[in-house]
Amino acid sequence: MTEAPLRNIGRPDRRIDAGEKVSGRAVYTTDIDLPGMLHAKVLRSPHGHARIVSIDASAARAMPGVHAVLTRDETAAIPMPVYGYFIKDQPIVATDKVRYEGDIVAAVAAEDEGTANRALAAIRVEYEPQPVVTDLERASDPDAAELFEEPPVGIVPKYGQGASGELRPRRNVCYRFSYETGPADAFDECDHVFEDVFRFSRMHHFHLEPFVCVADWSRKDRIELWTSCQNPFPLRKEIARIFGLAENRIAVRVPYIGGGFGSKNGCKTEPVALALSRLAGRPVRFCLTLEEGFLTNTQHAAILKVKTGVMQDGMLVARKSEILLDSGAYSDGSPLVAEKAGYRIPGPYRYRRIETDCYCVMTNTAPAGPFRGFGGTQTSWACESQIDMIAHRLGIDPYDMRRKNLIDLGEPFVPGESGMDSDLRAGLDLVVRELGYRRRGGLEDDGPVKRGMGLAIGFKDGGGVNKPALARVKVSTGGDIFLQCGTAEIGQGAHTALSAVVAERLGADRSRVRYMPVDTDHTPFDQGTNASSAISVMGQAVDRAALAARAQILDFAAGVLDCPAEELDLADWEIRRGNEAHPLAPMIMGHFGGTGWEFVGEGFHKAENSHAAPLEAPCVFWEIGWGGAQVAVDTETGLVTVEKLFVTGDAGRAIHPLVCRGQDEGAALMGLSQALFERMIYDGSRLVNGDALTYRVPLADDLPEDFRSVTQEQGHGPGPFGAKGMGEGGMLPVASAIANAIHDAVGVRITELPLSPERVLAALAAKDGG
Amino acid sequence: MPDRLDPRFDLSFTLNGAPVETATTTATALADLLREGCGGRGTRLACERAVCGACTVLVDGVPRASCSVFAFEVEGCAVQMIEGLENDGELSPVQAAFADNSAFQCGYCTAGMILLTEALLARDPDPDEAAIRDWISSNICRCTGYSLILEAVRDAARRKRETAP
Repeated sequence: MTEAPLRNIGRPDRRIDAGEKVSGRAVYTTDIDLPGMLHAKVLRSPHGHARIVSIDASAARAMPGVHAVLTRDETAAIPMPVYGYFIKDQPIVATDKVRYEGDIVAAVAAEDEGTANRALAAIRVEYEPQPVVTDLERASDPDAAELFEEPPVGIVPKYGQGASGELRPRRNVCYRFSYETGPADAFDECDHVFEDVFRFSRMHHFHLEPFVCVADWSRKDRIELWTSCQNPFPLRKEIARIFGLAENRIAVRVPYIGGGFGSKNGCKTEPVALALSRLAGRPVRFCLTLEEGFLTNTQHAAILKVKTGVMQDGMLVARKSEILLDSGAYSDGSPLVAEKAGYRIPGPYRYRRIETDCYCVMTNTAPAGPFRGFGGTQTSWACESQIDMIAHRLGIDPYDMRRKNLIDLGEPFVPGESGMDSDLRAGLDLVVRELGYRRRGGLEDDGPVKRGMGLAIGFKDGGGVNKPALARVKVSTGGDIFLQCGTAEIGQGAHTALSAVVAERLGADRSRVRYMPVDTDHTPFDQGTNASSAISVMGQAVDRAALAARAQILDFAAGVLDCPAEELDLADWEIRRGNEAHPLAPMIMGHFGGTGWEFVGEGFHKAENSHAAPLEAPCVFWEIGWGGAQVAVDTETGLVTVEKLFVTGDAGRAIHPLVCRGQDEGAALMGLSQALFERMIYDGSRLVNGDALTYRVPLADDLPEDFRSVTQEQGHGPGPFGAKGMGEGGMLPVASAIANAIHDAVGVRITELPLSPERVLAALAAKDGG
Repeated sequence: MPDRLDPRFDLSFTLNGAPVETATTTATALADLLREGCGGRGTRLACERAVCGACTVLVDGVPRASCSVFAFEVEGCAVQMIEGLENDGELSPVQAAFADNSAFQCGYCTAGMILLTEALLARDPDPDEAAIRDWISSNICRCTGYSLILEAVRDAARRKRETAP
């Protein structure tokens, strides 16, 4: 291997998508336009929960310009017209019931969206409204209405040591995940046991590119699908199952994706568009509005009951947790989120006993699913708030409390797990220095405005479970490099980072690498672009593919030069042997003929399964987000101003420093807005702020005056050059760091998000009153 | 059908400096005219409620949410969209600053952010921090956390001042 300084790694040069994105030429699914393409729109339920008595779409079918109408009458002919991850409970269009306001009842494909909307207005639906379920804690009461009277088809995956799952453990709960380790009597030996309850709000991803696809099933035995979906191979599998088609009849193509944050994860627009395309015999574009996005996928609101046993000196001993996730009306990714929330609730600390039950509670609200943090945001909020609360109860500084209990570098999180791959104390100390936490006693108040600081450490396992990844690197006669792998570019910079790895291994400039379009017909298999896995999982496959291509090139040259390959090096498309340089192009044409040749290397990666690991495979890497905040709390108005926010993640090795920084800062701002104001507001089963004007996302002027991030490079990651994944960690510590800072400033503890002026004032009043 | 209910009429304006003679209807949004008819697809539609600013174009130099401007409103106006910023294949200083500072991730808001910056710097070649934040706060970026965008705007202002005649 070359000892030369790295030419592509750690350099902040332009991302490979920069030119296309700043010039407007980048192609997204919204830009795909096929000859004869129709436009789809859907009719949505105005009821939170109702039986469908009748649907009369005859007037819509007769309207000029309408080419297909999809109701339960048509989906009855589809082999398996339901979808979901572990549980197949979401129908393409409603059959017997609607289960949330916004549930799809019918769909129309027409010459244009206006015609489709007029046709939808002509569909008559008779509903028989049912009582709604919206309260997480009362959903399992015997008198609560049931969303599903009959069990949908579902599976419980195989789990390892200490973990278990169950379908429908109780009324309106579609899934339970449980985990336990350590002696059951550990609470008995604790000096103190503290029980606290935390409430977590619900956000929408608010990706700017809407949910969109263009589906062409005009030929009976061939589906071509362009979609804004981050998991094209799982989507292909699901479509094959739903419609009873072979996977080699289905091509899923993923252009640039305009943001997702977890939402663009499975069947969303695609089944409706495909069914309409088959009926109409023409391609169909189905693009949701941003308002419809709110009705399609959301984060999980949650109630987290955390009971922690501790010794007088602050040593953690045991934690028992019960988590209720508001899963909405369909299971979507909820069972997977439950696994992760249930697994992550201990945080990055050492215990003798861990015991967790996490329930997916069905309510008559929009389906919840994957969202940046994937359960870890909920658990970090609860865990990092409670660590501070316990520290104060014991009279210990929250910093010392954390430091005492953090898992050591290399120490397994729980039995059977992989070792911690970041020095957690080093990250915490970095926050303490950058924030000036030691000097917080000297913070000056300003009349009714009081100041304080708080710390938090967000924690999740990264890289996903059961993620096989295959990559292919081709190098042409002229040294032009083709990278083929299934990682979608959703904004995270993965195409840039993976291309840099390939270029580095082949001794080339990154500009020589072209990242080939993601198309399931040609792209090697991949489980999906999720779980911060691009560099940590696919990165390993890509690295091996590049090294395989390099080995082939060196072997070829060794044959031509009649010497051992070990004597050769590759740089700038020349073979270097000592002081000699042999250009490859003529060497290749001399051997293969004038057209030349392509060297092809493949690389595969999958974490080994292990029954000793609770989730059946040891964690790929640990994604840690350390954070600290300084707040000013106005005790007269309750307004919390975050004056300083500092976050830091450990990239292991930053393949592209600006990309890493953007991931941490974008995630941190999402955490800040959830902490202070951003949330979906439901009135019963009705979402009251599901649009861009009333749903408040952060703007540039919401940035704290002092907002900074540092990308650590501790070097312990499993990815190429020691890299770890990024993108979720920066969000995890922010809300609890701010809540902890509020407590530091004014001595009140708020356990429910957002940390609104109303809640702060109420807490202050309660403190004064008590 | 739309054509019967909403007959087409002639519309003329300049787009990226070149005259355009086209036909439109009273119901057509400027964004749709640009995307479907004449400009290219760099103008991105997101909220379609004039809130997020992804579809920002400049109309006589003023940033407008093209989702919520009727096409007929630009009769006789000069419309500037992202596709018109490059000069002989060279990125404008603002585009180059966004590229060099990685002031984008998914890229969906980028055209709007760049045009907003062009308009800001045309008015004030040396905006202070408050002005930059105020202007950039009219558009939404969900990815970056804004810091890199703010750096790109400062960098763009520097580049433009250095290359100004």
